[in-house]
Amino acid sequence: MLKTLIQLLGDDAPVFRRYAWMAIVYGVLCGLTITALVPVLFHLLNNDVQRTTPWLSALLAGLIVCWVLRRYVEQAGVRVGVAILQGARHRLGDHVAGLPVGWFTPQNTARLGHVVTQGMMAVAQLPAHVFTPIIAGVVTPVVLVAALFVLHWPLGLIALVALPLLASTLALTARLSQRADEAFHQRFADASQRVVEFAQAQSVLRAFNGEGGGMRLLEQAVEQQRLSGARLIWLSAGSAVLNTWAVQAIFAALLVTAALWLNEQLGGDLAASGITAVVIALLLVSRFIDSLLEVAGYGEVLRGARGQLGAIRELFEVEPLPEPDAPQAPHDASVELRDVYFRYAADEPDVLRGVSLRIAPGSMTALIGESGSGKTTVARLIARFFDAHQGSVLVGGVDLKQMSSAQLAGQISQIFQDNYLFTGSIAENIRIGRPDASDAEIMDAARLAGVAEMIERLPQGLDTPVGEGGVRLSGGERQRIAIARALIKDAPILLVDEATAALDAENQAVIAEALARLRGRCTLVVIAHQLSTVAMADQIVVLENGQVVEQGTPAQLRECQGRYARFLAQRQAAKGWRIAPATSGEARV
Amino acid sequence: MSSSEPAVLEPGKAGPIRRVLTPIHGQLIVAAMLAAVGTMLTLVPLAGIAYIAMIVLGDAAATAAAQVQAEIWWTVGISVASMFVGMALVSVGELIAHLADNRVTHHLRMAVANRLASVPLGWFTSRASGEVKQAMQDDIATLHSLTAHFYTAVGRAVGAILISVIYLFALDWRMAVVALLPFPGFFLFLRHAMRSGNANMQEFVARLGRINSATVEFVNGIPVVKAFGTTGKAHDSYRKAVDGFAEAFVGFTRPLVKAMAHAHAMIAPVTVLGVVLAFGAVFVSQGWITPVDVLPFALVAPGICAPLLLLHTMLHDLGSATGAAQRVLALLETPVLEPRAPGQQQVPAGHAIRFEDVGYAYGEAQQALAKVSFTLEAGTVTAIVGPSGAGKSTLARLLLRFFDPTEGRITLGGADLRYIDSAQIYQRIGFVLQEVRLIHASVRDNIALGRPSASQQEIENAARAANIHERILALPRGYDSVIGEDAQLSGGERQRVSIARAVLLDPPVLVLDEATAAADASNEVAIQNALSHFAQGRTLMVIAHRLDTVMHADRILVLEDGAIAEQGTHAQLLARGGRYARLWAKGGYGQNVGASAAAQVQPC
Repeated sequence: MLKTLIQLLGDDAPVFRRYAWMAIVYGVLCGLTITALVPVLFHLLNNDVQRTTPWLSALLAGLIVCWVLRRYVEQAGVRVGVAILQGARHRLGDHVAGLPVGWFTPQNTARLGHVVTQGMMAVAQLPAHVFTPIIAGVVTPVVLVAALFVLHWPLGLIALVALPLLASTLALTARLSQRADEAFHQRFADASQRVVEFAQAQSVLRAFNGEGGGMRLLEQAVEQQRLSGARLIWLSAGSAVLNTWAVQAIFAALLVTAALWLNEQLGGDLAASGITAVVIALLLVSRFIDSLLEVAGYGEVLRGARGQLGAIRELFEVEPLPEPDAPQAPHDASVELRDVYFRYAADEPDVLRGVSLRIAPGSMTALIGESGSGKTTVARLIARFFDAHQGSVLVGGVDLKQMSSAQLAGQISQIFQDNYLFTGSIAENIRIGRPDASDAEIMDAARLAGVAEMIERLPQGLDTPVGEGGVRLSGGERQRIAIARALIKDAPILLVDEATAALDAENQAVIAEALARLRGRCTLVVIAHQLSTVAMADQIVVLENGQVVEQGTPAQLRECQGRYARFLAQRQAAKGWRIAPATSGEARV
Repeated sequence: MSSSEPAVLEPGKAGPIRRVLTPIHGQLIVAAMLAAVGTMLTLVPLAGIAYIAMIVLGDAAATAAAQVQAEIWWTVGISVASMFVGMALVSVGELIAHLADNRVTHHLRMAVANRLASVPLGWFTSRASGEVKQAMQDDIATLHSLTAHFYTAVGRAVGAILISVIYLFALDWRMAVVALLPFPGFFLFLRHAMRSGNANMQEFVARLGRINSATVEFVNGIPVVKAFGTTGKAHDSYRKAVDGFAEAFVGFTRPLVKAMAHAHAMIAPVTVLGVVLAFGAVFVSQGWITPVDVLPFALVAPGICAPLLLLHTMLHDLGSATGAAQRVLALLETPVLEPRAPGQQQVPAGHAIRFEDVGYAYGEAQQALAKVSFTLEAGTVTAIVGPSGAGKSTLARLLLRFFDPTEGRITLGGADLRYIDSAQIYQRIGFVLQEVRLIHASVRDNIALGRPSASQQEIENAARAANIHERILALPRGYDSVIGEDAQLSGGERQRVSIARAVLLDPPVLVLDEATAAADASNEVAIQNALSHFAQGRTLMVIAHRLDTVMHADRILVLEDGAIAEQGTHAQLLARGGRYARLWAKGGYGQNVGASAAAQVQPC
């Protein structure tokens, strides 16, 4: 847990160390000040108020120092908090900015957002609310044990032996509920997933709720969550009881020892100073126990803190894409895949199995194949969403791994389904593609993307704000602005996914037009969906089960009557599909 | 579940927390009382030590040693016993509170789910599913510190303070007054802290909002900025927001921390001990009390510190729990689709559908549809065409009652949709939309979602009709394969599963949103065949993106800007030379019409 915190703090780790040391010193000082009550009480009980005064002054002085130190400890704790809220947030930001684009799935994005906001806030408050009381609660009793040894060694010995025993009890009870804790988190995650599904698939669930089936799965998941929660409660209640009983058993042992000794003394001659010492020792024992009880009560809080830090650690453990030490610039606008293998997760089958492909600069290549055949993955690997698992991907004759991310970004523009817009105006969003573009150039790009008309209709024109994430625009408009953004970049290589970017007729027309215009001017790699696009291509690559099964010009492939020919037939058939009037009796469709 | 829901909603004026906790209020009170009594008992050993000190240091010589010994043992025995019993009571209290928390969170989750199951579907489209999850899972989990911990913490603090104060005052009221001095001091500092906190609260909250939206933009925008190599763009505003927040955080906490440090130092056991001993020495020197009398105060007074601190920490958490409770309550009060009185229920006679002057507006100003009237005669095919944004999808969603029209009404078999039981609607109106939603369950359960009691034969027949039966059999566990686990289906295959699901319900009316746009070539044909088969003999409403697919429809409605601009058959509309004719020309379908021979190539 500490390791994660130190990692999270990075260069700010000294801030935490300073804080921790201050908290330890504070604990020691508290212990010493409490110890000062020994001589005070000793003389007081001997009815010697005169000799009490210097010790009492020492105690009060210690009290004031404790008081002042407490303030510094808390301020140091706040500094740790600020280091987390500022330094660690920056560090996490820098880290995720280097992660492969492919990592940014909706789930990961949501998780990241949660950690950066709430997660960091919770961790930042740990020093003040959790660490300070625990450190002080552990250190102070250690000092008191020393004092007990001086006053009455048997009590000191019991207290000393008790500390490691108690520590192992705490560790044991922590492990007792750990499994139940993990099970609960699993059920919680399951139920959360069901809730997301419940919200996303609400229309379907409701429409198909004829026999109450729509709620059933959610009900089951929430019930499972309740059951595992109840199990965790019983186990952690058990651990809490064990913890406090362990502390109380120590208390009882100390009490009984003291009583035994006192009774022995009462039987013989009364050594007043010895009895006074034991009575004072019992007072120290009560302080000792009080501290330990407080620490034992932090079990659940610590478990929560571990969970929060764990979520942060997981993010830091995601490997960023390696950047080369001596980046090489691409020579031209060619693309090449050499015997590429790729899979999305270690336990999943390969999506690409030995794909080799050469795309000449300035040519147009259409990737076709059934969904799951790997064509999207090929496009993603060219844009370095991920690194190939085996084999290499080259752009301009240079392996992507030997290229800096800026060089690659300068080489490639992409029109995928990603149409996230930033808060700001339409112009600002299009200008992301080329920061120095003039308004006229932006309007040109907008015209190509089919949004010029819409922009001209807006009273503020290009300066119209799009809202957070582009909420003020419709989905199609957002997508077309994203297309304008990609077009204005004017990169030597353009990747287009027609299947996801050309959802409606208007976008289809925009993309077809852009492809026709750019053909021959830059390297085009298109995941093709429309017949017209495929027909335009210089080269067609047919993928099946992660392998290239056919490759050639449209004319060549038509000749050989293979999969491409079948694709053409299916496409034609699909295009000819008509919904027939039901009244015609026989549903010829 | 739904019958107990009003219990949560009823007590109109009470605070959000009270209202959320109503069902378990009794249990929480019991838990708090147990914790209070238990804590009182756990303090007995302190008094016990004081008593032992009194007898061994006081007039021990006067009494017989044996009697003193017995008394010591009795004291030790009682102390240890009350300590263990006390802790047991506290534990039982905690257990009750936790179990009550377990129950109420489950109850709230189900209450929210039931509520949301009857809000307009449009509510879901305007919200990220993450928000619903946040409220139903995370916010309700946040209530934990309130339900499971707060009441027992109050019980413990009250118990400890009460018994200590009584005990100390009974011993000597003057010493009691001075020994308890630090505690009012704590509250003074605390109030000061709260006040200085409130001064900067607004700035802090504003910064918090800013960093939250900067974070959203940052994490969502990374893929974009990486693609454009301008990583600086989103990063900069994130960095600025982080720095701005840190600054506000320091500004907010600095005065707070100072006052809080004073407050905490005030009730540190050391402080209380120091005060007791200092005044004790003075009192002894004045001869007001004997030295032994100081001991009980030195023992018991510091014992108040821990429960008080715990209570304070709990109060701190209470803020976030209140916010969570408010969000949960807001969700529980989401307006539902216009409720129907039992007597008002109508049963549709026949399957004709009429739109009567239907209008729909998103929010205040955005009028999506206005004064739309038409009839879907039983057994006919009606196509809706028009540019994107014309309101085609809104029209379909109104018919499916994803939301209710803001003007006019829609009737099914003469009955207003709003007065028909929703199960009745969906038995009659099936739909296949572009967006496919399968749930995380077996393929069989997915197909049988609307009719869990359907037989295997019926399910397989539906799958066959949807051209997906063979594919399902090829899955590792056939119909038992779980979607997303061992049933990895492509988009087009998922679409066919969703068609099988609709087929199984066998609705007389079918709404199609041209469902094949994103599918692959082979899938598209398979889907089209499945749909053709399914559509036979049903009343059909088709949202068409490609005009040629619906050129044979009985009637084509051309929507523009939320109103019907033209209607008629393909031939009529072409002859008119209006909008439809222009759209047709623009779409370049000419060559396809010529090549309509292609239509005969296909199997059906």
